[in-house]
Amino acid sequence: MEEAGPSQPRGWDQQDPEALIDDQDPQGEEAADLSAFQREYEDDHSWEQLQEDEHGHLRAIDMREEQRAKRKRLLSAAMSARIRRGMIRYLQVVVDLSRAASIQDMRPNRAAAMASVLVSFIREFFDQNPLSHLGIIIMRNGRSERLSELSASPEFHINKLRSNLDAGGDASLMNGLDMAVDSLKAIPSYGHREVLVLFAALSTCDPGNIQDSVKSAQQHKCRVSCIGLAAEVHICRLSAQETGGTYGVALGEKHMEELVMGHAPPPPSRAADSAASLVRMGFPQRRPEGSDSMALIGKECTLLSGGFTCPRCLALVPELPSSCHVCGLTLVSSPHLARSYHHLFPIKPFVEVSADAVTQAMAAPNTQQRLQANDSSIWCYSCSSNLIQPDEADNTEAGVVVRCPDCGLFFCYDCDSYIHESLHNCPGCEAVGTEERFDDAVKMVE
Amino acid sequence: MKFLLDGLTVHFPYEYIYPEQYRYMLELKRALDARGHCLLEMPTGTGKTITLLSLITSYQLAHPEVGKLVYCTRTVPEMEKVLAELKELIDYRSRYFQGPGQSPPQILALGLSSRKNLCIHPRVQEEGSRESVDAKCRRLTAAWVRERHVSAPDIEVCSFFEDLERAGQDAVLDPGIYTLHDMRVLGRKKGWCPYFLARHMLAFCNVVVYNYQYMLDPKVANMVSRELEKECIVVFDEAHNIDNVCIEALSVNIRQQTLNLAGSNITRLRSAIDKAKATDAQRLKDEYNRLWSGLAQQGHLPAQNRSPLPGGEDTLANPALPQDILQEAVPGNIRRAEHFLAFLRRFIEYLRQRLNVQVVETETPATFLANLQEKVAIEGKTLRFCYDRLASLLKTLEITDVDDFTPIHLVADMATLVGTYARGFAIIIEPYDDRLPSVPDPVIQLSCLDASLAMKPVFSKFQSVVITSGTLSPIDLYPKILNFNPVVIQSFKMTLTRDCLCPVVLTRGTDQMPLSTKFEMRSDAGVVHNYGRMLVELSATIPDGIVCFFVSYLYMDQIVAKWHDMGVLQDLMAYKLLFIETQDVVETTLALDNFRRACDCGRGAMFFSVARGKVAEGIDFDRHYGRCVVMMGVPYQYTLSRILRARLEYLRETFQIKESDFLAFDAVRQSAQCVGRVIRSKADYGMMIFADKRYQRHDKRDKLPGWITTHLKDAHLNLSTDMLMHVAREFMRGMAQPYDRMAVGRSLLTEEQANSMNAATAAGLA
Repeated sequence: MEEAGPSQPRGWDQQDPEALIDDQDPQGEEAADLSAFQREYEDDHSWEQLQEDEHGHLRAIDMREEQRAKRKRLLSAAMSARIRRGMIRYLQVVVDLSRAASIQDMRPNRAAAMASVLVSFIREFFDQNPLSHLGIIIMRNGRSERLSELSASPEFHINKLRSNLDAGGDASLMNGLDMAVDSLKAIPSYGHREVLVLFAALSTCDPGNIQDSVKSAQQHKCRVSCIGLAAEVHICRLSAQETGGTYGVALGEKHMEELVMGHAPPPPSRAADSAASLVRMGFPQRRPEGSDSMALIGKECTLLSGGFTCPRCLALVPELPSSCHVCGLTLVSSPHLARSYHHLFPIKPFVEVSADAVTQAMAAPNTQQRLQANDSSIWCYSCSSNLIQPDEADNTEAGVVVRCPDCGLFFCYDCDSYIHESLHNCPGCEAVGTEERFDDAVKMVE
Repeated sequence: MKFLLDGLTVHFPYEYIYPEQYRYMLELKRALDARGHCLLEMPTGTGKTITLLSLITSYQLAHPEVGKLVYCTRTVPEMEKVLAELKELIDYRSRYFQGPGQSPPQILALGLSSRKNLCIHPRVQEEGSRESVDAKCRRLTAAWVRERHVSAPDIEVCSFFEDLERAGQDAVLDPGIYTLHDMRVLGRKKGWCPYFLARHMLAFCNVVVYNYQYMLDPKVANMVSRELEKECIVVFDEAHNIDNVCIEALSVNIRQQTLNLAGSNITRLRSAIDKAKATDAQRLKDEYNRLWSGLAQQGHLPAQNRSPLPGGEDTLANPALPQDILQEAVPGNIRRAEHFLAFLRRFIEYLRQRLNVQVVETETPATFLANLQEKVAIEGKTLRFCYDRLASLLKTLEITDVDDFTPIHLVADMATLVGTYARGFAIIIEPYDDRLPSVPDPVIQLSCLDASLAMKPVFSKFQSVVITSGTLSPIDLYPKILNFNPVVIQSFKMTLTRDCLCPVVLTRGTDQMPLSTKFEMRSDAGVVHNYGRMLVELSATIPDGIVCFFVSYLYMDQIVAKWHDMGVLQDLMAYKLLFIETQDVVETTLALDNFRRACDCGRGAMFFSVARGKVAEGIDFDRHYGRCVVMMGVPYQYTLSRILRARLEYLRETFQIKESDFLAFDAVRQSAQCVGRVIRSKADYGMMIFADKRYQRHDKRDKLPGWITTHLKDAHLNLSTDMLMHVAREFMRGMAQPYDRMAVGRSLLTEEQANSMNAATAAGLA
């Protein structure tokens, strides 16, 4: 369809080059099409899915779907029980604070959204992995900066992160990866090396070949996981795939939080990666609190009372878990070790049961879950809320009902997530166990 | 899996089959049963090739009476791909015949290509072009060269050809699948010439894969495909441009330089004749007698000299279609070699005179012939014999370096075609290229206007012809322009587990001003700016690779220059590296290579390409290489081209196809072809942006293939740039989520499901 300009001589006649093409403007279609777009993208009546109860609380009309989706994630964690896990983790969080982080498709912008998710992640991480260490690296202006060294104090990281949130320039995934892998190289072999990249940009400006960096991460057994904020980027998927990590793209703030939080429980470890070995740990004594025990404690030499004494070098450290700043010994308390234990033996996932099954179970005699013999409804074993009829006073919808496969007792959704996420013990099984033990003991006495 | 399809056992080398593949097989089988032709459209990425091969080989197995499968592809890589898939299929099929007392059915399949791709002679294969390899080969294998070699051993011959010749009838291939590479390896091992072995084995094989030309270009087809039996099943894959291939096969362009070279060819022939007269006058006399007695194949060497293998003496056959060649003796006035040369010289002089024009002239063959008769007293009927007469002369004079004689061949081609066809052709003489009016470059174009001419012998000779491609829409236009009656016309949609195609129509910029590459709008600064901003915003939203197609090289040059001045390019470079297709193949290949590297390493890149260019036709931008493809404007053909005008007129008069309909059809199939580059499998995803307000019109949109229009939602029509960005962001996020790749039952059928579908159709029929 090239044309010689109209001023140039033309061989035969001065015809309009598109005279033959029938191209009148469409009419009457435009208005209809615009409304279709609005229907699909702009009219997001999210409030219609809410209703107000008599106390003025907003509740979702159907919360079962939401609850099911959340359960699915919990289940997938619980299903992988008895998998060898890396309990002592060294995690480098690489945060992209390039130009793309200032885009405002998340509120107020991507950088702030990432920071707020990371703050809760760091707390959750140390809660679930008391024996682990974390460090933060940021990518900005084509370079990578080490924001905080690998260490075990959550508040320190959080403070550092909050004070460093201005975004700009290009992101260089290669620099970020190299720096992370560099710092993880020196970790002893029992430590599980991980990199978590939060990637807002869609491209990376690298000084060299990033494939080499991915290879070196692979060689040093660093597991690289990525979370994208906008779209699937090939190199992120590749680095996650090659190093055995995961890759996810956030649909929004909420989804980003879910993805990031998914990295809080320890990942399965590959048998070849870490040989079983003994780790030297110290269990320090707590010093008495009070004004007479004030001392300069820790690396920063802050004047504090309390704190802990390292059993090897008798240095004072402010908090646990941490590593001694003098002799480098890992310092933990026994509850920390115990808390890590549940990752190895998670309780079984509860099975969702339909309302019919619950009614049937209710019909059977000797159901434990009746508060009174003449009671016609069935109650959550753990919180004693009604599972079938919504509480009249509270006016709540009936949620998902689940059942423990071992003890066969019913639980409500909230208790299910509480049991799996925080408690890590099934109250039903524990109670049945005690009763049986009690019975056995009685028999033996007799 | 192995399943029953309408009474036919089909071996399919995968565990699952897509429902559309199943339906495709069903329709194909119907056409084969009815012994008719069919036209099938199925989107790329659905395994069209394996479906075709699987059904047709199964059909051959069940019905031994059907002939070969002749599979025509456009390029050598495609050919290799077909053979590789066939190999996998046959390996798989043999497993079903492992039981005691059973032997797997034998199959012989091979790829046939030019000497350039098959030659293993150490010196000949180093030649650069196809023509020079052919010529070198002829110099070593022509019958008279080999004859002379017997008496004078210092005359070189090709040892591979000699060994093959010596093996004679024993030179056969074992059953199996032979790619071009396999043929060369085997040739080296046995010392046989792979090219002639392949030509020889053509008669014995079950499947042959070769280029379109071997079937459509009468010059090549008469030489290679003449002996194929009627029962063959002929498949044209990627056939959306088949009409253009047909037309090119019958068109000839002659420039000033061609005429000059043809003149010197005649001089050389003249001296050769003189020499022959002095040394071996008998040869010329024999030829004269042969021509006079009107042998069916004029100029063939006497039968006793013919070996079972046609050696280097076989030249390209007559450019006219077989049924149009007159089976009679060459007219008296060109029987003698000297007379023939004088005749040709006269014809060339006439052409030279015609080239000397200041204005464009368009005429039909009839007026051209009348003029010819009047001016230089050359008759149309005599012209018809030009080609055969020249071939005979070259053979008689034992000339082997035919590549030097290409110009005179061109002239003879033209003479024969003009003499043979009164309809369906146009002669257009242009003093200069329209795009460069200041540079005189006169050219005589004998242009074929009717694609059905070259297709006709194929349709009439072979029992079943299958025309298939990813984009054949609107599918009812193809039977019209190719002038045939298919028994099955079907367009299949892709079953997808998720909406991984996202076609959108962008009609306005952010400022709500319309976007179009219409002639009167395209140089408008606002339009150029809006297009540029759209690309910049897109590059900030789409990860990895973006491909952008322009309507022409000229337009691309103009708009890129303007973008440079506006600073658009600089903004683009912040997000993506830029690569541009040029008319130079090497440059483009390099650009493509670097484009891929930029996508691989995460830098992200954008490729500027041109619809109808090499890239638009043959290069895939699958996975991260093409997350988004932008079609800037509607790629109409250059409508001022005389050839196109003549063709449009012919189509209107002969087939009652409106000009605007054909132009829109042609433009939309090109844009469908361009945007289709981005999806190559079901696991892939990509956006397709039609950036022109004219796509909003129904007559354009309806011409898009069904598998695109079904995904074209109302909400994605008539968008402005900012709306587009919103759509793109949502789409990219959604597609990045993990999904169930298998989705058995919905988009994949297991063996049982396929069998039960068969039972259901059988029950439905009963």
